[in-house]
Amino acid sequence: METRQLRLGGWGQLLALTLVGLVFVPLLPGLYWALGPSFKIVVWQTLLSDPQWSQAVSATLVSALLGTLLAGLITAGLATRLYPSPTWQRLQQRLPVLLSVPHVAFAVGLFFLIAPSGWLARAAGLFLSWTSPPDWVTVQDPYGLSLALALALKESWFLLWVLAALLGEQAVTRQLAVARSLGYSPAQTWRQVLWPQLLPRLRWPLAAALAYSLSVVDMALILGPGTPPTLAVLTWHWLSDPDTSVQAQGGAAALALLLLFGVISALACGVWWLLRRWRAYPSGQRRADVQHPWPWQTPLLAISYAVLAVLVLWSVADSWFFPALWPDGLSWDAWRSAKLAPFWTTLWLALVVSLLSLPVVLIWLEWGPQRWNAVLYLPLIVPTLPLVAAQYAALLRLQLDATALALVWSHLLWVLPYMLLTLVGTYRAFDARLMTSARALGCSPLQACLRVKWPLLLRPMLAAWAVGFAVSVAQYLPTLFAGAGRFDTVTTEAVALSAGGSRQVLAVQALLQVALPLAAFVLATTLASAWGRNRKGVR
Amino acid sequence: MTLAKLATTLSTLALGLGWCAPVLAADWSQTEAQAKGQTVYFNAWGGGEAINSYIDWAAKEVQSRYGVTVKHVKINDAAEVVKRIQTEVAAGRNNHGSVDLMWVNGENFRSLKQAGLLYGPWAESLPNWGLVDLNKPVRSDFSVPTEGYETPWGTAQLTFISDKAVTPTPPRSATEWLRFAKANPGRVTYPKPPDFHGTTFVKQLLLELAPNPALLQQAVTPQAFASATPALWAYLDELHSLAWRAGKSFPASAAAMHRMLADGELKLSLTFNPNEAANLISSRQLPPTAYSFGFTRGTIGNVHFLAIPSNARAKAGAQVFANFLLSPEAQAHKADTRIWGDGSVLDLGKLSAGVQALMRNKAPGALAESVPTLAEPHASWVEALETEWLKRYGAR
Repeated sequence: METRQLRLGGWGQLLALTLVGLVFVPLLPGLYWALGPSFKIVVWQTLLSDPQWSQAVSATLVSALLGTLLAGLITAGLATRLYPSPTWQRLQQRLPVLLSVPHVAFAVGLFFLIAPSGWLARAAGLFLSWTSPPDWVTVQDPYGLSLALALALKESWFLLWVLAALLGEQAVTRQLAVARSLGYSPAQTWRQVLWPQLLPRLRWPLAAALAYSLSVVDMALILGPGTPPTLAVLTWHWLSDPDTSVQAQGGAAALALLLLFGVISALACGVWWLLRRWRAYPSGQRRADVQHPWPWQTPLLAISYAVLAVLVLWSVADSWFFPALWPDGLSWDAWRSAKLAPFWTTLWLALVVSLLSLPVVLIWLEWGPQRWNAVLYLPLIVPTLPLVAAQYAALLRLQLDATALALVWSHLLWVLPYMLLTLVGTYRAFDARLMTSARALGCSPLQACLRVKWPLLLRPMLAAWAVGFAVSVAQYLPTLFAGAGRFDTVTTEAVALSAGGSRQVLAVQALLQVALPLAAFVLATTLASAWGRNRKGVR
Repeated sequence: MTLAKLATTLSTLALGLGWCAPVLAADWSQTEAQAKGQTVYFNAWGGGEAINSYIDWAAKEVQSRYGVTVKHVKINDAAEVVKRIQTEVAAGRNNHGSVDLMWVNGENFRSLKQAGLLYGPWAESLPNWGLVDLNKPVRSDFSVPTEGYETPWGTAQLTFISDKAVTPTPPRSATEWLRFAKANPGRVTYPKPPDFHGTTFVKQLLLELAPNPALLQQAVTPQAFASATPALWAYLDELHSLAWRAGKSFPASAAAMHRMLADGELKLSLTFNPNEAANLISSRQLPPTAYSFGFTRGTIGNVHFLAIPSNARAKAGAQVFANFLLSPEAQAHKADTRIWGDGSVLDLGKLSAGVQALMRNKAPGALAESVPTLAEPHASWVEALETEWLKRYGAR
């Protein structure tokens, strides 16, 4: 029995390592091929003397730092004020829907909302009787402020979602009750008791938000500055330039993004360490809370729903020019003539990728060496551009670029870690006594896993599948590079259309981009509750 | 296009098609036989709805007629395709590259041709080459001889768009443009070079402002650049101070400018297609009061081409598709403003009366006046101008 278990464990580990290795290992030579030419002094000299460099960096820093910081503050503010309360419960229930709105669709909607000719300006123009849009610098502002706003809103949902999961695990309610009985206000309790525990556990999600904000290209193309664009957009332009010396400069810029990420993370850790030393011993003074806190969740939700509403309205609008608040008429033309090829491509791609990833993640969680999880999370906390460049270089050498296989493989690098992240908590928390009972009743380890553990974990597995599906739908750079532009997805289509062309058509593609992950989440929830209806223990 | 109209067009075209009895019939039928069953990856700019649906139409036609499958790879910038071909060849992919046919002109053609990355010559042995109007600059691409390495696809001319309801009298020269900007601060701009339209606008200004425009037809030299451009930079310095967002930021594309024109955020927009405004009006992207105009002394015009990379997999299929795109039927369909409205490269005199009438048909909003065509500066000027522009204005 013991040897059989060992054998299974050994084979399982080998299988887990092979499967994950297939996704990760080709990156190493890829990184060498892609970034090797950038390790020359002269490349860095041209990069640093590029006239666009300093402003591109400042726009990147402003949008990434402000975006991440604001997202953190929104999350912290909402949790402090609302947890625990029915409002928090309601907010938590809405999070999956908000999370499933892809970044690109959100950016497009926000553009329709806040552009000088957008919905808000039209509403204002109604009272101020404007005939032409105001000469305001809202979207594509030189400092990347509108990009920061979009990132902050989008990332705050992600952070709230992670925080909700953390709050579920910790015995927070008990601590709150104890602190309150000692006379501390809820705000003080959060500041002095809860955040010091929660923040260290939020550091990886925060790092992921930062890495994402630093290297985001799709949203920056829609909302970010253009003269010059953010560093990530510049890097992408340079990496796809015909001139090899410009490509090397792009490689160097990708490394610079990595460097920026490292420096900011180190500084953040330093600040955290200082704060801990400085505020190690709170005074013990009791302070009263503000009696009627302003409901911050309302504007947050209002913006999100307005973004979706304006997308829907544009998709069915007939002609609709400034300063009209409503379209001249409604028409289904944009939907009727919508190009559905990108939709189907996105659908099969996301299905294949997420359905491939799920067994890989399960095998990894069951038999893989768990201490290496951190390596698997790397794609989430490292800027995307160097990784995409490495993938492309590897695919080119293998003569696999522009194939469906390449596309699936390139998406796995981001889908796998996200699914692992979603599943790992509940997987670890699985009651080991159930497995012991199964073994005692005569099941082999494999049988126990297949017949007891995995069926019991079906609900979180479905949730992880939906997350993986959504992550695949949202991929922009991997789709462009690995697919060599041959595969249009709703995401690449929406970004391409955002540069110009019919707003009605753009709105349709953006809504299709929203529909796919939303459908996956609905499907996952429905299946899970159908499965759990007659099974009491299935959570 | 109504069905009845399509039917009459097709019947006139059927007569026209019989005309092109090719000299190289044997060779060509061999090419057609090879092409059958091939998949052609056609890399072409994918940012225009009208263009995309035209390519879809053409793809369906060659599929049913010649058994050639055409896949439109939508790209943002032909320079990316040039890069991909270079990388592929450098990595040893010499005969099964990812690009079979590409839409190209100017600088990108020059760099591909110089690097020996083009297949050919093939263009002038296409059966439909005989119909091409050789009076148009179809054998020289931004002053670089094409030598059969690319086949002309359509013509274009820099055209401006405005809205009659707001701007009844548009500026008709560089000087008037500046005066217009003074009268309408914040409402004038152009796409940021190296966007193709932005660069063309800068070249248009240069043609008018350079002391000796003849210099621009030669390859650029540091001396020529130093003598031709100071007036341009002085002009742009002044224009930018009056432009949208004070010239500190520029729209990403002409398509973005059309949107801003439609909303009244801008008063002037530009395009390289004299029929685009008509097209945009019919698809409700521009108000019906929009109209096209040109400069009195002319605007830059050129021809855009199709080329086959040296490492293309489906060379025969690419030629069959290119030949179809050059046919009177495809060219007339393309010239129709309700479809795309791109100018034909064929000699009207060699076509049937029905096709001629179809090509002369103008929709409201299209360029109604006759604007002289100015030749493109030599391709090498593009990079020099773009680099200097980015240096001066690329950062605030």
